[in-house]
Amino acid sequence: MKEFWLLLRSHIKTVITSITTMGAFRFISFVFVIACFLLGSYYLFFRIFTYLLSVEMIGPGLTDRLIEMSFFVFFTMLLFSNVITSFSTFYNDKELDFLFSLPVKPTSVYLVKLIENYLYASWATMILAIPLVIAYGVTTRAPLLYFPFSLLGVLIFPLIPAALASMFIFSLLRLFPRLQARDIILLSLGLIMALTFLYMKITNPGLLKLFETENERELLLFASNLTTIGGSYVPSTWLSNILRGLSTAHMSGFFYSALLFVVSLAATILAYLVAKLLYVQSWLLIGEHVARRRFKRSLLSFHSARPTRTFLMKDVLIFVREPTQWVQLSMFTILLIVYIFSLRRTPMYFTFPLWRTIVSFANFAYISFVIATFGVRFIYPAVSLERAGIWLLGSSPLSFRKIIAMKYLSNLFLAVVIIEALLIFSNVVIRTDNSVFFIMPIIALFVAASLVSINLGFGSRFPHFNEDNPSKIAAGSGGIIAALASITYVGISLIILAAPAYNYLASEYFNRPVNYPVIYSALAVFVFLNILTIGIPLKIASRSLVYADF
Amino acid sequence: MSTLIVRNLGKTFRNVSAVNGLDLELRPGEIFVLLGPNGAGKTTTLKMIAGLVHPSEGDIIIKGINLNEHPIAAKAHIGYVPDEPFIYNKLTGREFINFIAGIYRIEKDHFEERMAAYFKRLGIGEWIDEFSEKYSHGMKQKVIMCQLFLHNPDLILIDEPLVGLDPKTSKTVREIFFELRDQGKTLFICTHTLSFAREIASRLGIISEGVLKFTGDLDALSTISGSRDIEEIYLKLTEESTTADR
Ligand SMILES: Nc1ncnc2c1ncn2[C@@H]1O[C@H](COP(=O)(O)OP(=O)(O)OP(=O)(O)O)[C@@H](O)[C@H]1O
Ligand SMILES: [Mg+2]
Repeated sequence: MKEFWLLLRSHIKTVITSITTMGAFRFISFVFVIACFLLGSYYLFFRIFTYLLSVEMIGPGLTDRLIEMSFFVFFTMLLFSNVITSFSTFYNDKELDFLFSLPVKPTSVYLVKLIENYLYASWATMILAIPLVIAYGVTTRAPLLYFPFSLLGVLIFPLIPAALASMFIFSLLRLFPRLQARDIILLSLGLIMALTFLYMKITNPGLLKLFETENERELLLFASNLTTIGGSYVPSTWLSNILRGLSTAHMSGFFYSALLFVVSLAATILAYLVAKLLYVQSWLLIGEHVARRRFKRSLLSFHSARPTRTFLMKDVLIFVREPTQWVQLSMFTILLIVYIFSLRRTPMYFTFPLWRTIVSFANFAYISFVIATFGVRFIYPAVSLERAGIWLLGSSPLSFRKIIAMKYLSNLFLAVVIIEALLIFSNVVIRTDNSVFFIMPIIALFVAASLVSINLGFGSRFPHFNEDNPSKIAAGSGGIIAALASITYVGISLIILAAPAYNYLASEYFNRPVNYPVIYSALAVFVFLNILTIGIPLKIASRSLVYADF
Repeated sequence: MSTLIVRNLGKTFRNVSAVNGLDLELRPGEIFVLLGPNGAGKTTTLKMIAGLVHPSEGDIIIKGINLNEHPIAAKAHIGYVPDEPFIYNKLTGREFINFIAGIYRIEKDHFEERMAAYFKRLGIGEWIDEFSEKYSHGMKQKVIMCQLFLHNPDLILIDEPLVGLDPKTSKTVREIFFELRDQGKTLFICTHTLSFAREIASRLGIISEGVLKFTGDLDALSTISGSRDIEEIYLKLTEESTTADR
């Protein structure tokens, strides 16, 4: 145990040093963006809860269902992200060679790494869950005791998926040490999805009927009559019970807090025991089974040499050969296909043109946020992934401006393909009105162009040339800033576009006169915003590389 | 014409002065070896000449081109081997070489055979078609060194060339350096291996705490220090400089 504290202390020290040496600009933007995001989501949740709780009869029930649903989604997302990050944290980290050579117990190494994995996998969820919990407490006028208990619950809760994921990965690798990273990730994702589906089918078959309800009223009734969404055996339900119980000073809140605490502790201890049995063994075994693959023909060989083509081809090759990259990209794609599919299965909205239009606006907002996440995960690390190879580019006659331009255009291409495909498919499914159908893809072009630029800009301004794991690069302080800046950009764009959208709805469905000045000025403001959000980050990107010392 | 002219070069990191008032001129066919204790500023000097670190003051002129004013044109004459060899993990050595050839616009027919000869000479063998993530330190170093023969640079900057190389390869590397010198290239090498320095250097420089204390050939240095043994010369000159500053 003493060793564990020692290791933990040295890890915490590194984190603290990296914060204190961060530089004023980085630190301030970090704090500013996080604060904006927390406050923004707090405000959003506050509005949602205030509205829902004011709905007669079914309001409170709906609120509880919404919270249960959110936590259930968090829980499955946490399982996913823990499995994905644990392979690299527990097996693929260079630091492990050093740690295992120290005279410390492997279990101490495990615990430190577990905490690291827990933080990496759950920060994004926490940053959403914390404002949600506080907003709920404020709207329900919960007693003071509510806040410390529920926040503690939010912090403890992600330990369970972290412990589960590490147990799973250890057993899998002990049994099949020859598995490649991508097989493990794919296998576990399949398993998690299948289990989630089965679990929902068994504990709450009614839930899956959600997609088949005919109209809005039926849906609301259905939702408020559901007893629980996750079922009472899932930690996410306990967490929502903590919120509900404590907000009314009911004893059940304390009961579920205790339950959550005991189960997290038990899961961690169990994972600790599994690690004691399997971790080092499997780590050693994996080292022996490095796959040897030879490429007789070099894929980077072209008859006539062109710097741009060679550079792009190199990026493609490295992407394709790095399983964490394309596995996450495919997961991302699967989730989106599921999303569009579920839109298709929700016919209740589509009987009614006003609803259809509202849904298509909401869909646009959702897709913009999706692209923002995509940008942080795949575009933000693009410059850092050049790693120490940046010396080569820096001392070569290929200018950084050109490198940034190539990275920008190739990533923009990808982002545009994704955003337009999503938008067009979903609008076909929703059967959006013609005019909206044609305007949205144009606006989406701006959104994609800005988001790629923002992520590339922050990625070059705050590069991590020592890290080769793109998920970890994206989870660093620079990545958080980029994520929140992207989300802020999307938020501001949506606020600007809300005016013309509202105007359009009012004139189309309520026969109000069209207010052209409002529409045109909003569009002008939007274009102006985008000139800034495309131009400035790109400028920052090439300047920070040109003036950097490597 | 001098291949490299460095005038009053200085670099300050935040408030640490790493290199200070460095003047140097290198001619074609010269092997210049820079010696100095850890943290003396060797790597920083080399990186400034390679265009990877921006000088706080001073000028670097490569083949008559000012690096600061025309970085791209100047860099076309440089070949650089860093102290920590890096190749993209998921590329094979051969792909890495092809990648660099592409960036420097070198046609395939112009380098494939030549490269194959160097791969063989440096004992890279079949490793060239493996992912570089499996390379040892020395293997990476060798592949990166092959890169120097692609675009035919006039100024070759090498940081710690011998680290991680086996004796046989060290010998080959030495021969290759001599060949390059005989072709009229200029080599600028930083090293801690004194015997190697003695064998290859046409001129030696000793840097300590960011200041270039002495330059000259072995004879000049032994006159100054009053010894013929390179180890003694080195110890004496770096010693003097550190005590002189106090
Ligand atoms: N990026 C940087 N930021 C701050 N200080 C730096 C940076 N790079 C180098 N230094 C400092 O500059 C000084 C010179 O370092 P340099 O790497 O040039 O030494 P060196 O002669 O190459 O040493 P060695 O023989 O150990 O390789 C050192 O004091 C070092 O701490
Ligand atoms: Mg050095």
